[in-house]
Amino acid sequence: MINNLYKNLHAEGLISEESLEKIRQKEEKPLLFSVHWEIKTLLYVGVMLLTAGLGTLIYENIDSIGHQFVLLLIALICLGCFAYCFKNALPFSTQKVSSPNAYFDYILLLGCITFITFVGYLQFEYKVFGINYGMATFIPMLVLFFIAYYFDHLGILSIAIANLALWMGVSVTPKQLLIDNDYNSGTIIYTYLLLGVLLITGAWLTRTFNFKKHFNFSYQHYGIHVTYIVLLAGYFHYYDSAIAIAFMLGILFLSAFIYNEAIKDKSFYFLLLVILYSYIAVSSLVIRLFIQAEDAVAVYLLLFYFIGSGIGLVFLLINLNKKLKTA
Amino acid sequence: MIIYNKTWLANMRLQAVIKKDLLRGYITANEFKSITEKYPVGFYTPNLFVRVGLIILTFIIVSFADGLISLVFAATGAVETFGWFFFLGLINYIALELIVKNNNHFRSGVDDALLFISGCLFATGFVMLLFRLNYTMNYIVLAGIIFLLCLYLSIRFADMLTSVLCCISFFAFIFFGWVRVIPAGLATAPFVMMMVSGGVYWLSRINSKKEKFINYDNCFVIIQVISLLTLYAAGNYYVIQTLSSEMAAQTGPVPFAALFWTWTILLPFVYIASGIQKKDVVLLRTGLLLIAAAALTFRNYYHVLPVDVTLTIIGAVILGIVYAIMKYLKIPKHGFTSAETEDGHLMDHLKIESLIIAETFTHTPQPPANEGVKFGGGDFGGGGSSGGF
Repeated sequence: MINNLYKNLHAEGLISEESLEKIRQKEEKPLLFSVHWEIKTLLYVGVMLLTAGLGTLIYENIDSIGHQFVLLLIALICLGCFAYCFKNALPFSTQKVSSPNAYFDYILLLGCITFITFVGYLQFEYKVFGINYGMATFIPMLVLFFIAYYFDHLGILSIAIANLALWMGVSVTPKQLLIDNDYNSGTIIYTYLLLGVLLITGAWLTRTFNFKKHFNFSYQHYGIHVTYIVLLAGYFHYYDSAIAIAFMLGILFLSAFIYNEAIKDKSFYFLLLVILYSYIAVSSLVIRLFIQAEDAVAVYLLLFYFIGSGIGLVFLLINLNKKLKTA
Repeated sequence: MIIYNKTWLANMRLQAVIKKDLLRGYITANEFKSITEKYPVGFYTPNLFVRVGLIILTFIIVSFADGLISLVFAATGAVETFGWFFFLGLINYIALELIVKNNNHFRSGVDDALLFISGCLFATGFVMLLFRLNYTMNYIVLAGIIFLLCLYLSIRFADMLTSVLCCISFFAFIFFGWVRVIPAGLATAPFVMMMVSGGVYWLSRINSKKEKFINYDNCFVIIQVISLLTLYAAGNYYVIQTLSSEMAAQTGPVPFAALFWTWTILLPFVYIASGIQKKDVVLLRTGLLLIAAAALTFRNYYHVLPVDVTLTIIGAVILGIVYAIMKYLKIPKHGFTSAETEDGHLMDHLKIESLIIAETFTHTPQPPANEGVKFGGGDFGGGGSSGGF
């Protein structure tokens, strides 16, 4: 029973006899219904509920169970997970390594989360690192980076990057960047700047040395968001002083760099980020210019600027898309 | 009725099918090329990121352009009337038609944004018109008008978002109409809504297979989701109790409580069972999602166990069930497999999963600021972020 579609295509001479035969064989096989997505989602939900439940359970009953027992339990879960992972992992390679089975990734995730909990617990209850909070986040970070690279797990790489940010005293996911933090201090701005540059450098190194090349995305994603947001924040923080120019120049250099990389990588996502963030920067400069004019005409000019620049960017985006596709 | 070139839409479906065959190696690259040349698609449909960018830019352009026009005419006083919104909506709609007809945009972002904006402007115009007519919000008429508006836009553009709004406003129209017109409306409304949403689901299921409606495939899927959700909500105990206390100030238990509780708990499982039986993704995933709704409803009224114990038990049970399913399906059985389908998926390029993990698991403990905190860590909350479609 072969589809009419292929018969027609064959009759028109568009499909060879050989390909038709291949398709015929495929059609004879029963169509499988994949529940892969459902299973993955349930696994994720299960791990999340279990860790959340255990976390609160311990939190509520800390007085009756005793710290040693709790620590032991967490350590056992953690060790169990890692033992399984070390035993079953495929050999290390500098390229992408796929996980040996579907639940491997989740067991690793569970192990990492229990590990972070374990270290946090140790520090809180027994002050293992004393008041040296830096060490308390530095060591988990190193371990997480090692695990992410060794077992090739993108989710854990993201957690490790977040831990790097935490170690530097800031947070990294775009949501928290926008919600939790105020940029009203110079030190925070420079810390973020350092973090962003570190991440973008990390992405560049990953690509250049072809070491776990697929990790590039995570570094680049967080790096670009952090750097652009902090450069814009810095510009507004130092709005009235001359340093503001430096931040604008920073945006210019960053845009040029990321633009080239995005064209080379053919990455539409990063290209879009460059365009949108640069547009915000340019528009803030234009608004600043017009506001100084203090004239009713300036309002009209501003409206025309947004309409014109918007239309211009639409064409730019469409053309860049064509360019990337044909390149 | 549909604005897009039907031949191109058909060619697009054909190309999607043979693209899969190409990726799986059933046909050669040369054959693929000759087929796409024979059956061309002339639409401008860029990739997802360009689409998002174009949506944002179109929003900027349109809002400033509309602002400019309004500013020019502000002195005349015409801007404050409902007619002004119809006028702006009409301009946007004409722009949309021109872009789609002359530039062959198809889900390019520009048409998405224009469709959304013109729909919103028309809806605002109608709200102002109704307000002007009788100074109170008339939900029945409003729902009816939005239904007709979205129905037209859905038929013309086969857009999923307008189909969702169309479906919701239709259900709202029936609900408000029934409550207003029938004396014992509120008490019987659940049963009416059940019948109506069930009917809509049935209709969209039988019609989605028809050759005639093949261009509206996406719309039918989303209508099925919405009507399944409404069917569940119509009999959900919490929804009924909240509505009856809000609209009729009835507190306390609801009549036919046993029936509604059965509905609340059992319907998700019915969905899942029939989803498995019919191999229907929509039923299966809606059912899975609604189990969470059933659990939350139950917890809202009966506190059998403390939250932490419940979470731990549910988490362990879910992991156990998943493990059992994976063991069972190691070799595909009864046409089911736990392996990934061979189709490449665009979202995989964005590495969505790693981003979700980062959002939910990285509320890592901050160094404790004072000794009043009992325990710094363990906050892995933020659930529900993975339940979306």
